[in-house]
Amino acid sequence: MNYWGLIIKNPFRNKTRSALAIVGIAIGIATIVALGLVTSGLEASTETTLKAGASEITVSQTGSSNFDTSGSIDENRISDIEKLKGVNQTAGILRASADVSDGSNMAPGGGFFVNGIDPSQLSLMGIESINGSKFENGSYELILGKTAAENLNKSVGDTITIFGKEFTISGIFESGNIIQDGGAFVSLNVLQNITSNENKITYIAVKVDNNANVTRVSEEIADAYPNELSTTTAADQAGKINDAMGYIDTATWAISLLAIIIGGVGVVNTMIMSVYERTREIGVLKAVGWRSRRILGMILGEAIVLTLVAGIAGTIVGVVGVNVLLAFSSSFGSVIEPVYSTELFVRAFGIAFLVGIIGGIYPAYRASKLAPTEALRYE
Amino acid sequence: MNNETNKDSRKILIDIKNLKKSYENGQIKALNGLDLEIQRGEFVSIIGPSGSGKSTLLNMIGALDVADEGSINVAGIDLLNTKDLSKFRSEEVGFVFQLHNLIPNLSVLENVQIPMLETSLSSKEMEERACKLLKSVDLEDKINQKPTKLSGGERQRVAIARALVNHPSIILADEPTGSLDSKTGDIILDLLKDIHQKENVTLVMVTHEPYVAQMADRTITVRDGKIQEDTMKSN
Ligand SMILES: Nc1ncnc2c1ncn2[C@@H]1O[C@H](COP(=O)(O)OP(=O)(O)O)[C@@H](O)[C@H]1O
Ligand SMILES: [Mg+2]
Repeated sequence: MNYWGLIIKNPFRNKTRSALAIVGIAIGIATIVALGLVTSGLEASTETTLKAGASEITVSQTGSSNFDTSGSIDENRISDIEKLKGVNQTAGILRASADVSDGSNMAPGGGFFVNGIDPSQLSLMGIESINGSKFENGSYELILGKTAAENLNKSVGDTITIFGKEFTISGIFESGNIIQDGGAFVSLNVLQNITSNENKITYIAVKVDNNANVTRVSEEIADAYPNELSTTTAADQAGKINDAMGYIDTATWAISLLAIIIGGVGVVNTMIMSVYERTREIGVLKAVGWRSRRILGMILGEAIVLTLVAGIAGTIVGVVGVNVLLAFSSSFGSVIEPVYSTELFVRAFGIAFLVGIIGGIYPAYRASKLAPTEALRYE
Repeated sequence: MNNETNKDSRKILIDIKNLKKSYENGQIKALNGLDLEIQRGEFVSIIGPSGSGKSTLLNMIGALDVADEGSINVAGIDLLNTKDLSKFRSEEVGFVFQLHNLIPNLSVLENVQIPMLETSLSSKEMEERACKLLKSVDLEDKINQKPTKLSGGERQRVAIARALVNHPSIILADEPTGSLDSKTGDIILDLLKDIHQKENVTLVMVTHEPYVAQMADRTITVRDGKIQEDTMKSN
């Protein structure tokens, strides 16, 4: 037998009480792990938006909203902008919101976006690999995002009716962008035609020259068409997304703090009861020559054992819980891929450890300060 | 300083002068100016009515409590002027209480090893020493049992093994047979006496039964926190 063995054994003397304390802390840890997995999953799926071949600048009508679905920019601007210094390639995109003919409205946000584009410029959208083939210019073909394909239960070769026209699915793509993967791309002139947006586009995607400064090019475009066109860079958007992630992160930390406080109170309570019940025993330990520090260490260690067990249980529940939820939620399941980072697990166990120390220190101190004779007289 | 006194002071193991201890803000005078000398190797019994201060005296000798006044020297250590007494308790004394006070979730073998956790022995050495001691108290077949499975006499034998495990110079026993029937009690007393003789350990035992007290070489009667009588066995 050794000291450590004793510390591991002792918390399980009163199984019910320890189990209750463990459950309380494990719930907190599970929440932290689950939130962490989901946020890092979201972060990963938005980071892919900033892909190598994709456009860096989005040019839209001044005053239009992010998800505008009308054609408000003149098509000629595509080539106008391409001539500007530092611009490498441009693509005009018409965005429309469509209901699928069976009446279902499938994309996560509630809109099924159909984007018209010249098929040769799909790489600007971050679409590089297509399962099947691109659509032909001017044809009634489309490529469907992976999420949309799963939600609509469609595969290559199937047909789909939008805006009253039947389209054949020529390919399925995965760009990693949540919004895009929930929608479809068709030939620009076909979409302009069937939505009566001839010669109009919603926005222009711009790819800059290799050595050009994205911010400067972006400003130059906006300056060239004052009161008409506005620009945002992919980096700006990533920044906005990061801000949102920041809020979720703050929330996670707030929940962590709550878990520390609630869990800490639970541990204090459990350990005080345990010390109280073992008063005589602690008196004996002092009588046989244990130093106060050893008694302090034992009780503190027991508290940490409790919270580390809760850390393990909470981590398992969090990981399993997120996977089960994603498996049963068709819209999020295909978008969010939980990311297992060491940092998250270090954080979960760090918090468990901290709760053990915070919750254990006072009971441990009390135990170490017990007067041996008082303790031995205790009934 | 001559050789004579030097030799003498080395024989005195416990040296108590005018020791006072009160509880409840001085309301209860548990020890009221007590003087006592005990030589190394003696077997002393302490007798007296309930509440006379016997346990308090024993706890003072074992450094479980601190006196208010006077002086107490045990094994050359001035207990009133030593900060950390745990080393003293670990090395010099072994306690046997009226109640065995064993830890219920640990086996007999583990209970006996508890005091050795303060030493630098390896876990193998600890186990060997505990086994040997349990054998000497006739419990070698019970080493892996939990104390709850043992009889009162067996538990007290485990407690004796635990008290001996760090080779103390003094065994302090506070009514060790108080919760046992007389037959089992006699076995425990014989065992303690046996240990005292074989190991040459100083044995101080509190009891309130005269027939138990007279087993010792010397009987001290305590009353109202003072020594009332101090008699050596005549034969
Ligand atoms: N920790 C304590 N707190 C308060 N009173 C105590 C304490 N210890 C002993 N006493 C009191 O001191 C007196 C002597 O007690 P004790 O030494 O236990 O007597 P004995 O062992 O001879 O029966 C008693 O009146 C007892 O109630
Ligand atoms: Mg007593």
